[in-house]
Amino acid sequence: MKSENTALATYEQIHRDLTRTLEPPGRLYYGLLGVVLVVLAWAIFAWIYQLKTGLGVAGLNHPVGWGVYITNFVFWVGIAHSGTLISAVLFLLRCRWRNSIARSAEAMTIFAVMTAGLFPIIHLGRPWYFYQLLPYPQEGQLWVNFRSPLIWDVFAVGTYFIVSVLFFYTGLIPDLGTLRDRTHGWKRKLYGFFACGWQGTNKQWRSYSKVYLLLAGFATPLVVSVHSVVSWDFAVSIMPGWHSTIFAPYFVAGAIHSGLAMVLTLLIPLRRIFELDAYISRRHLEYIAKLMIVTGLILAYSYAAEFFIAWYSDNIFERYTFVYRATGRYAFAFWLMTFFNVAVPLLFFAEKIRTSTVWLFVISLLINIGMWLERLVIIVSSLSRDFLPAAWGSYKPTWVEVSITAGSFAWFLLWFLVFVKLLPIISINEIKEVWSQPGVREKDER
Amino acid sequence: MANGTEITRRDFFKVVGVGGAAATLVGCGAEPPEKLIPYLIPAEEIIPGVGLWYATTCRECPAGCGMVLKTREGRAVKAEGNPSHPVNQGALCARGQASLQGLYNPDRIREPLIRNTDGTFRPVSWEEAEGTVAKHLSTLRTEGKGQRVAFVSSLVGGSLKQLIERWMGALGSHRTFIFEALGYDGLKTAHEILFGLNTIPRYDLGKSQFIISFGADFLETWLSPVEYARGFSAMRSYRDGKMGRFYYVGPRLSLTGANADDWISTRPGTEGFLALGMIHAILSAGLATSLGAPGRKGLDALVATFSPEHVSGITGVPEKKIIELARAFATVRPSLALGGGAGWSSSNATAAAIGAALLNYVVGNIGETVEFQSYSSLDAVSRFSEIAALTEEMNRGEMSALLIHRANLVFSLPEKAGFRDALKKVPIKIAFAEFLDETTAEADVILPMHDPLESWGDYSPRQGVYSLMQPVMRPIFSTRSLGDTLVALAKKVDSKMAGQLPWPSFYDYLRESWSGLQKLLGNNEPFETFWQQALRQGGVWKKGEKETVRLKPEAVQSVLAELRLEPETKASMYLHLYPSNALYDGRGANRPWLQELPDPMTKITWGNWAEIHPQTAQKLGVTEGAVVKITSPFGTVEAPAHIYDGIRADTVALPLGEGHTAFGRYAGKRGSNPMSLISPKPGASAASSSLIPVQIEVTTAHETPASTAGNNRQEGRGIAEAVAISEIAHNAKTAHKELKQHPQLRPPHPHPENRWGMVIDLNACTGCSACMVACSAENNVPVVGRENILTGREMFWIRIERYVENDGGRIENRFLPMLCQHCDNAPCEPVCPTYASYHRPDGLNAQVYNRCVGTRYCSNNCPYKVRRFNWFEYEHPDPLNLQLNPDVTVRTKGVMEKCTFCVQRIRGAKDIAKDEGRPIRDGEITPACVQTCPTSALVFGDLKDPQSKVSQMAQDSRRYRVLESLNTEPAITYLKKIRQDNEV
Repeated sequence: MKSENTALATYEQIHRDLTRTLEPPGRLYYGLLGVVLVVLAWAIFAWIYQLKTGLGVAGLNHPVGWGVYITNFVFWVGIAHSGTLISAVLFLLRCRWRNSIARSAEAMTIFAVMTAGLFPIIHLGRPWYFYQLLPYPQEGQLWVNFRSPLIWDVFAVGTYFIVSVLFFYTGLIPDLGTLRDRTHGWKRKLYGFFACGWQGTNKQWRSYSKVYLLLAGFATPLVVSVHSVVSWDFAVSIMPGWHSTIFAPYFVAGAIHSGLAMVLTLLIPLRRIFELDAYISRRHLEYIAKLMIVTGLILAYSYAAEFFIAWYSDNIFERYTFVYRATGRYAFAFWLMTFFNVAVPLLFFAEKIRTSTVWLFVISLLINIGMWLERLVIIVSSLSRDFLPAAWGSYKPTWVEVSITAGSFAWFLLWFLVFVKLLPIISINEIKEVWSQPGVREKDER
Repeated sequence: MANGTEITRRDFFKVVGVGGAAATLVGCGAEPPEKLIPYLIPAEEIIPGVGLWYATTCRECPAGCGMVLKTREGRAVKAEGNPSHPVNQGALCARGQASLQGLYNPDRIREPLIRNTDGTFRPVSWEEAEGTVAKHLSTLRTEGKGQRVAFVSSLVGGSLKQLIERWMGALGSHRTFIFEALGYDGLKTAHEILFGLNTIPRYDLGKSQFIISFGADFLETWLSPVEYARGFSAMRSYRDGKMGRFYYVGPRLSLTGANADDWISTRPGTEGFLALGMIHAILSAGLATSLGAPGRKGLDALVATFSPEHVSGITGVPEKKIIELARAFATVRPSLALGGGAGWSSSNATAAAIGAALLNYVVGNIGETVEFQSYSSLDAVSRFSEIAALTEEMNRGEMSALLIHRANLVFSLPEKAGFRDALKKVPIKIAFAEFLDETTAEADVILPMHDPLESWGDYSPRQGVYSLMQPVMRPIFSTRSLGDTLVALAKKVDSKMAGQLPWPSFYDYLRESWSGLQKLLGNNEPFETFWQQALRQGGVWKKGEKETVRLKPEAVQSVLAELRLEPETKASMYLHLYPSNALYDGRGANRPWLQELPDPMTKITWGNWAEIHPQTAQKLGVTEGAVVKITSPFGTVEAPAHIYDGIRADTVALPLGEGHTAFGRYAGKRGSNPMSLISPKPGASAASSSLIPVQIEVTTAHETPASTAGNNRQEGRGIAEAVAISEIAHNAKTAHKELKQHPQLRPPHPHPENRWGMVIDLNACTGCSACMVACSAENNVPVVGRENILTGREMFWIRIERYVENDGGRIENRFLPMLCQHCDNAPCEPVCPTYASYHRPDGLNAQVYNRCVGTRYCSNNCPYKVRRFNWFEYEHPDPLNLQLNPDVTVRTKGVMEKCTFCVQRIRGAKDIAKDEGRPIRDGEITPACVQTCPTSALVFGDLKDPQSKVSQMAQDSRRYRVLESLNTEPAITYLKKIRQDNEV
């Protein structure tokens, strides 16, 4: 690993460092790609099997109508959060250190939304009629039900995806121009097409900055709205354990928590493999870790508030649901998630831990697991024991659900692998921006 | 609450007699099945799309309930109770509802079969099969071996039984046996000993004020469960601050016991002694006022040794309780004692039956609530001793031929009785059967029979009830009726035999026999009028005549001889077998609806189980689902354990019905047959199985019982509510104040015309679960099988939730029918993204299958959890698919479904009302569950009409709504169960 204190010589040096990722891939890359493709193929097989046989091949039942699929949906939407938070919110807040990680975080956001978006379709009883969830003009004048949170989801996630893609693409344009100028053949044509004639003129830069700022402004409220809407899938229902006003902020905090964890999970190996320590420094990672202390504490508060309100409400159903959550069949998942999401991030109070990439990486994985379990616990433990005791049940995922879940990670990684070899994972122009004086490294502004 | 026996005009017209039309219909050959309407020239009364109803008689058990079968385009699609029939008055039990799955069973024998030398069967023509049988018979007849031929039939109706006897007579044999696994030998023996009447009386539960049952499970299987359930609910209905009392005595808390005010748990086999102790107490308290001095003298001697104190020692019931019960039984008039379970079901059936009959005699119930008549259909059933004697003869090789009609002796007799082996020693075995059951599988020639729904016949459960059976549709397979086969065989045996049976078909024989009945009834109309009338009505009824009953002088001696007074060998565990609510004696095991129907107490489906008390289970280290090995002196069975607190610690109970080794895809190789634990000896007391000691061992195997129940405790949630009887009057005064309107965020639904709703009286619901099968039949609800039940994918649109209140030892059971509540504020509606779940102007919460994409959010958000998702594409194996109701969509995989309040029936009634230019009448629409409920616990109607029955009942002071606090504004109002205040 290069020392972080090595001064960066020139813009040229930056360019070379940051486009090194685009060089022809090595064995590791192909190995990883192979694994990803195999897992994905298996998941597609499982899905086809489910389509043919019926949703009964999943572990779902009466009363547990939602399980791993919706858990995955919420999890991936959550992952999608930090990208926009980092690239838009921190941009507006002039936290320029985000320049090093914004590109990959945004890419992660887009791929996570693409993954999340699959699950509402996979979990449908009749996915071939998914278009009935869209308000499209048709002869029968049937319209969607705008009172249903599932329709809100369609719009919230759809909007988030479109804005994220636009924002991501806008930020890419200067880099695409650069790449066009330095490549040949089909790549040049490809980059050239998407660079939209970028020449780096003053006028272009002026327009670019305005658009970028505008889109950042657009994207910022979405950070809050998307997961609030997703949380309403639950909060709007009358299920004990779901029906709660705390859900929107609770879910947003949880989403950022998991999103940041995923950023760490992806960045730490990347900076190691591509020797980008100079650009994604320990300090960057440390900032993320500090942010996670905050989100972890918000989660801790939310968990506690849920239990408190269940007790304080004196509602027999709420009380039972939370006692069951902590002591029932899914208690192991509950205690694991509490430990991983709340207790483990507290380790970041120790500087040694939050500056150690090994610790950061391990903890980020644990938080990923914890956040996935959190969604599972909320969904399954509430559904399996609701109002009428005679109708209680339980849920256990089947191989089909496990396969498709594994497949979702493969799908996500596949896109990320393609991204790594196609586009610079760190924004070249934004890095150059912060290196105002080549050769002199600023302290905190990166 | 009872609808009474009157028949509405519409009901009358919908039941058509087919008479000659059906006769020709039966006579025709098979039509190619691919025709949508299987008539070349449609019969006059058939209108495509309109149901045609035929009256017939249910033959699923000996009760003989009247049925009307709805046919559509020539296919029977739904069985309902005949409203004008005196036995069941329009209701039907689960087994009656499932009779269609006998008719359409995919495992029916489809053509005659003859056994090859290698043991397999080969299909043959009727010509060949009948020829073979006739050849055998004619040889036997000419050799004068007619006496070596025996005919064993299941319980068949009057004319067919006569024909069998006549036919056998012509063959030179009088060896006709009627076999019923549950033949009520104990009951008949008791009445024989006491009164010299080998018969079973009619019990009038509705008239009684106090009932005590000694192991008689009259709400599930005993004698005539539909009739008795109706009577029971009448007796239990609340009138002027009072409600009849009911006590249940026995080692196991059955469904009937669960409906009692108290379960008096006696040591196994001692129920009869408790009755004698009560008689002792009644006599010594001088409460037997109606009894003359002469009769009393013998009785005093009989019960002399059975002082309540002594009986308390025998039975384990406190002396005080016995005296209290006796006093109440004698003073609350009229009372009724029922006793002696169904054959094997009570551990000492004869003693219990004697005790019950004597109790009735002592307090003067006979002639009041117990009506002896000149006969009951069960009189004809052969005693177990007679069947055992036949088995002996077969074993000795004295029988040359055995003809068996629909009687599964191999399965239903104790294994040690050795019938299977004895059968092997009979050279010629001819089976007249619908199914390849354990007995039929041993036959040499199998002649496939019509289902009762395809046959002509009659059945008279008791004097005064003459019920007709008519074919409701064209036969599905190449089958014939037994009557027609016998007539045809006679013609083939020889001309002499043919001469003795000159009728061209059984139909002619039946008509002739009914013309005799007409004369007997003193009816002077032309026969055709009488016949058509009877066909439309389902039979003819007149009031039965009471027989006078006197205690036989020698009765006391016989009773003392019958009751074994010496204590039984002290074993630590005893066996208790009982007929299953769904499968009866096992004949229902090949009906998928019945296999899937949860047992009302344990909620277990598809398979049997051994009920073990929690304490015993702990002692033995048995956990739920652990397979236990139960060993009696006569055999061993293995069954998964079900921990059940409704059983004594010294008793293990198993339901009958499972354990078939043949009998088709649904019954075969499922569970174990507990008949192998039973004593093969007829014994001194006929088929009353005396106590059978058993040993229980835990095996390492595990088989989770497929239960549909989550938890049977209410967890303090007030779901199935009860009210003390003394509080009702008070509540009635203050009730109107309680009707509070909850604030609403949105304006209420206008419901311009109707608002369909239901009232469910928890005090009337016995938990029998007939509604569940009726619903499945009407609404094409698929059967999902054991594996799917285990994973929680049951599809029932209506279920009976059983909740147990166990306050200090006394177990109170509450049954709560749960179906879609059709809420005004339905939580399922706003969450559906596609409006597949929406609120109709008439208040129904509808589900649009075409629009449903299957998000299942509606189900998650339904607090009643009544929505059902199609996890798979479910099968209806041919020809079960012919039963599907053409008015109801068969749902595809991936869509949500649920109770519709039988919207197709609402639609149908509205159409008729519109055609006739009038509004819908109250009571005109009955959803399938409401229609079949034996106790009328469910009432349906228009809540917008303040005069409707449902509106009136919804004002009752006992009303409440399940999960009221959620403000879902359900359309179903429940009436609380009524609890008696104090004991006895």
